[in-house]
Amino acid sequence: MFGLITRRLLTAIPTLLVIILASFFLMRLAPGGPFDGERPLDQTTQAALQQAYGLDRPLWEQAWLYVSRLVQGDFGPSLVYRDFTVSELIAQGLPISLMLGGLAIVLALAIGVTAGLFAAVRAGKAADKVIMMLATVATALPTFVTGPALALLFGLWLGLLPVSGSGDGAAWLIMPVVALALPVSGAIAKLTRAGLASVLKQDHIRTARARGLSETKILFKHGLRPALVPVASYLGPAAAGLLTGAVVVETVFGLPGLGRYFVQGALNRDYPLVLGVVTLYAALIILFNLFADLIYGWLDPRMREE
Amino acid sequence: MSLYEIGNLAVDIAGTRLVEDVSLTVEPGLCTAIIGASGSGKSLTCLTPFGLTPGIATGSIRLDGIDLAGADADQLRDARRRHTGFIFQQPLTALTPHLTVGAQLQEATMQAGSARPSRSELVQKLERVGLSRPDERLDQFPHRLSGGERQRVMIAAAIAHSPKLLIADEPTSALDASLRAEIMDLLDQLRVEQGLGMLLVSHDLASIEGHADQLLVMDKGRVVETGPTADVIANPAEDYTRRLISATPRLDEPSPKLAGPGDELLETRDLGVEFNRPGWRRGIILAVANAAIMIRQGESLALVGGSGSGKSTLGRAIAGIGPVTRGKILWRGGALPERRQRTLEMRRLIQPVFQDPVASLDPQWQVLDIVTEPLRNLRPDLTRTEREDLARQALSDVDLAKDFLTRMPASLSGGQAQRVAIARAIIAAPQLLVLDEATSALDPLVGAEILKLLHRLQEENGLSLLFITHDIAAARRLCHRIAVMDDGRIVETGDLQEVIDNPRHAATQRLVAAS
Repeated sequence: MFGLITRRLLTAIPTLLVIILASFFLMRLAPGGPFDGERPLDQTTQAALQQAYGLDRPLWEQAWLYVSRLVQGDFGPSLVYRDFTVSELIAQGLPISLMLGGLAIVLALAIGVTAGLFAAVRAGKAADKVIMMLATVATALPTFVTGPALALLFGLWLGLLPVSGSGDGAAWLIMPVVALALPVSGAIAKLTRAGLASVLKQDHIRTARARGLSETKILFKHGLRPALVPVASYLGPAAAGLLTGAVVVETVFGLPGLGRYFVQGALNRDYPLVLGVVTLYAALIILFNLFADLIYGWLDPRMREE
Repeated sequence: MSLYEIGNLAVDIAGTRLVEDVSLTVEPGLCTAIIGASGSGKSLTCLTPFGLTPGIATGSIRLDGIDLAGADADQLRDARRRHTGFIFQQPLTALTPHLTVGAQLQEATMQAGSARPSRSELVQKLERVGLSRPDERLDQFPHRLSGGERQRVMIAAAIAHSPKLLIADEPTSALDASLRAEIMDLLDQLRVEQGLGMLLVSHDLASIEGHADQLLVMDKGRVVETGPTADVIANPAEDYTRRLISATPRLDEPSPKLAGPGDELLETRDLGVEFNRPGWRRGIILAVANAAIMIRQGESLALVGGSGSGKSTLGRAIAGIGPVTRGKILWRGGALPERRQRTLEMRRLIQPVFQDPVASLDPQWQVLDIVTEPLRNLRPDLTRTEREDLARQALSDVDLAKDFLTRMPASLSGGQAQRVAIARAIIAAPQLLVLDEATSALDPLVGAEILKLLHRLQEENGLSLLFITHDIAAARRLCHRIAVMDDGRIVETGDLQEVIDNPRHAATQRLVAAS
């Protein structure tokens, strides 16, 4: 297991480097720059700014400088939020984004696995069909529809939950987390249902049944773990989707998470900010995929061999 | 009163009657066996009364004085939990993959309500079934164990709660010949020691003869014949029983007439196949080492060994579908290069046939496409009509009617599928067939017919055969000579009958004794 972790972390370094360089050059290919506004700056100011931030140097030199500073933990200054470094902006936004994403994953797992389990036990019956239909609907609805719809219903009409922004307590978290979790929970429900349906047909379930165990015990002790293997392989990409999906939800609910900085940074050509967020996202995605692989090995010990 | 007694049992699945009018008894300490081809209803007969199949059982069923005929799901569960142990065919899949051997054995021990067993008690249970290093095994997951070891764990779990009745559904079918004998002996011992009644299901006469006291022969859901095992085998009254017995190869049956072989066709010199060890462990596995075999034209060579002995790897290397690490393969004295460098002509000369006929046919293809596929690749000079003519000829060579050309593999029985696979192998007029356990997965009656077919093809066409198997008695019906493999090496070669009469190497002795 330690072998797997070290190997994954070592291969993560070149992967990250490729992602950083690709984003760096792609961003520079896009027209415009950080100091182009509606009222163009005069030539000398423009040049002075370019020089101050090192944007007048050759592109490869800038890339090299960026990477070498990154290695020392320096994400550079923000070009648009002039008084902040990128590290400071990330430090502000990351906790909110992580909290949203983390809670959403937990909620999606809880809803999805429970619903999938219930549907698999009632396979072919009305409950199964209703659950699977709801799961399809949940997967199909984008967060920019469910988010405002939730805000309208629970925030404006019923007045139960705050419509936007963060505050004391946890009430402000409920709607954004639910909006984020819904599509993922639908997918997890379908995967759990399909996984269980195939596992419950396998020989070892018959062996457990031959021991006269109760159906509940057969389901939870012998059936559930191998059935969750497809769910685990979905979790890595899903976690990534929750981070990027959070961009929409943060905008809808007016939360100062990373997503907002990401979108605004891209629109403003705030190169260091966008690169910083991309690097962070990439690192998190690699980490989540590693977690998913470790969960794999726990779910099915045969996977530990490769 | 018998321990277990069923009378006039019928089993229906979805309104179709699949088993009818079966009556049997199992006495404590004795074994009643049911033998029959696949689809004869023998497993349904054993498992349905306990609610382990989707079928519905009617008739009288009494286990230790308890009436199970009208029992509901909970009562059946109770009957399984307290009084019955089950052993299933596939040790590979019958154990839960994510629970350790110890956890499953503990669950089995406690199923009838016993207290949590101590670790040393679990170790004893594994020792009792002859598992080496039992303490270590308790913490292992099933996939780390070999097939025979897993079946021992399965047996230990089946008797862990001291049941009165043991139901063994093809307990040895997935194991090779020498393991088969060991497992059957173990079951005999346990049965006698613990006064267990056993109901054994098999399609294989060898694992019943000498082990079962009573025998039922089943065919198409009905009992064909019943009586004490020795009597039924010595004096079968029914035609079906006689055919079943004569289909099962035995070492003491008269030698078959085999055509005399011609010139030397294929030879391997110091052939070696190595694999990298899987996982992160360094090192290599020597699957085949210094293998030297020779086959003449029109001759059949039996390549015999236990599972894991490297016989299939050697066969694949010769057929050009597996790697060769070192050594040489000679064809009529000239070197046969490794697979990518073989010309179409060289590839045509050697054709393989595999163990699982249904799995080796593409389920999406018609038989016509399957059978002509080698021609499309190996004989690009032929037109479509010429190919179809050859396909018709190949099907008639394997005794299949022309209308099979449009069938899909899913509609074929195991024997028909294996005939199609053989037609595919012979259509390009090869000179050597590599048959990898080509009859092992088939019922004895079907397997015997495939052996006859191969024998005829060999005589008519002067084909050479490399017959890879773990069953010496089956090889004896077809083969002139034998090469015995053990642990990647050829340990003994010679005339088949002479080797059977005087096996020198321990591995050969084991294989002969198991047949």
